[in-house]
Amino acid sequence: MKCAGIDIGSRTIELVVIEADKITYSLKTDTSYDPVSQARGLLKTISYDRILATGYGRALIGSCFDMPTITEIKAHARGAIAVFPDARTVLDIGGQDSKAISLHDTGKVKKFEMNDKCAAGTGKFLEIMAKTLGFDIDDFGKEALLAKNDVNISSMCTVFAESEVVSLIAKGCNRCEIAKGLHNSVIRRATGMINRVSSAGEIVFTGGVAKNSCMCNMLADKLGRRILVPDDPEMVGAFGAALLAGE
Amino acid sequence: MQSEKTDMKIVPLMDDGYDGEPAKRVLNYLHGHKEKGDPIVGIYCGYAPIELIQSMGIVPASLCAFSKIPIEAAETVLPANLCPLIKSSYGFIIEGTCPFFAMSQAIIAETTCDGKKKMFELISEVKSTFVMDLPQVPDQIEAVQNWKKMILKVQKFLEETFDRSTSDEKIETALKASNRKNALMQKIFDYASIKPPVISWQEMYDVAFLAQPSTGQEIIPVLEQLIEKLDMRVKDGIYFGKPDSVRVLVTGCPIGGDATKVFKVIEESGGIVVAPDSCTGMKTFMGRFDENTGDPIAAMADRYLKIPCSCMTPNTKRLEDLSVLIEKFKPDVVIDFVLQACHSYNVESYKVGNHVTNNHLLPFLKIETDYSDGDIGQLKTRIEALFESI
Repeated sequence: MKCAGIDIGSRTIELVVIEADKITYSLKTDTSYDPVSQARGLLKTISYDRILATGYGRALIGSCFDMPTITEIKAHARGAIAVFPDARTVLDIGGQDSKAISLHDTGKVKKFEMNDKCAAGTGKFLEIMAKTLGFDIDDFGKEALLAKNDVNISSMCTVFAESEVVSLIAKGCNRCEIAKGLHNSVIRRATGMINRVSSAGEIVFTGGVAKNSCMCNMLADKLGRRILVPDDPEMVGAFGAALLAGE
Repeated sequence: MQSEKTDMKIVPLMDDGYDGEPAKRVLNYLHGHKEKGDPIVGIYCGYAPIELIQSMGIVPASLCAFSKIPIEAAETVLPANLCPLIKSSYGFIIEGTCPFFAMSQAIIAETTCDGKKKMFELISEVKSTFVMDLPQVPDQIEAVQNWKKMILKVQKFLEETFDRSTSDEKIETALKASNRKNALMQKIFDYASIKPPVISWQEMYDVAFLAQPSTGQEIIPVLEQLIEKLDMRVKDGIYFGKPDSVRVLVTGCPIGGDATKVFKVIEESGGIVVAPDSCTGMKTFMGRFDENTGDPIAAMADRYLKIPCSCMTPNTKRLEDLSVLIEKFKPDVVIDFVLQACHSYNVESYKVGNHVTNNHLLPFLKIETDYSDGDIGQLKTRIEALFESI
């Protein structure tokens, strides 16, 4: 049986097809201003027996294409435990959401924390800050790791943090150090969420922000816990949805 | 709202043209009294000694507001990061758009929180206001004595302001009528404990809004009729939601108007609200006044101080009452509703969450929100994920 999962996030849409629990096909595109057309484009490329939609745009896509839906919390939990069966904690930082999830041994969601309606501490925050500092988002983490000294960024709000960054630049601060300070402010928020749901054990880090090496290193240092990153962390939600479609 | 079994539109419980608009219904009630020349006094919360007010022939009007519209006006004076209930209530006043405030000839204000306390100072510049100093350590022996003294002071304020009087007999009569009213309200809420429930959150909320300011004499016949209608629903097999809908107990801050977005998201996510545990829901109708004690004001003070608002410390009664509600209404999940900047409910949520998950083994979710629509998508994800975790 071919099962598919489609994860409509705020920045990107991911599609995964599995057969016998193994990924046979995956594809990603921008969500853009027209997620329905984008999703239609992806869906045209595949055939499947069952499908589940998840993510921020699940209700829209679910109703347009007559698909059942599940939340991204359940999808990420399912995907993460499939990749790392011993893990019981998941951190997902996507485009505009961040969430920490703890799991029962059965894989069921035990407790979760989500950021509130503000995008502080998410991928969007890092993206805007990278732009302000003139970094490519893909290199932002690597550049931050080059910092020798710590700069403290106290603002969590994207707008306030941007003004703080501008004033640090005006003071002549090194931009790699500012970048590290920004990463640290996201880490502070993420560790707070993780500590509210679980206190020990390995953490599976999913979502686009998990591709940032500075985030992974700093998280491990700060928490003293092992951080596990799947090969394609952005695909975990769609993979989890595909697995759940078959169950 | 559809009934699964008959697939027919259910006749609204009150069916008086105001269904889903409880504020308009109460306004109509107040207008009726105004036309008869009855004085109206504004109150702010469940601690206001309604029976004392009623025993003097005065009509209480709740001034707590639940609309996002006047918040912008309020923020010209109040800080933006304040409780939306306070901002909404005050915004209506400075905009001059609150008919409840306009009709009130004086205000009784209870010191339940810091934000309200400071708002009362601003209100007192506009209208004659009596601030009741609410004891907040209810287990101390002096608490009830002090609250009794405060009720006596309100009595004096009302006598002087409205040139009205009361007596122990009149107060005793009002207490007895309220006991009957509250018992009937508890009975009405009990129809939500049936699986699936035969009363909706909107109906509970509609009835509660009218019953709160009404005297026992006025509302008892109405409530008795509603109970007959509910019995008919049971007989006819009419119910709300689906037999497998997730049963939700919502505890925490008062919910009304724009804050009912939470109830709507619960429904859209496949849930059904079976117990609204707040001051706009069941809370003010719980418990009973001791009768024939010879000191009805003391009986009133005693019962009012038993309301488990988070402003009380320690507020152990909230957890005890919550356990009783969980046993009776058999929810599948508990949601704690916290309004932005309501520190006491927000902090207490940690204890409520532990109580619900450890002692009742139920999934728990805290929601912190305001009156805006900006977080509906996020609320939906959280509530759906909570339901998935059952």
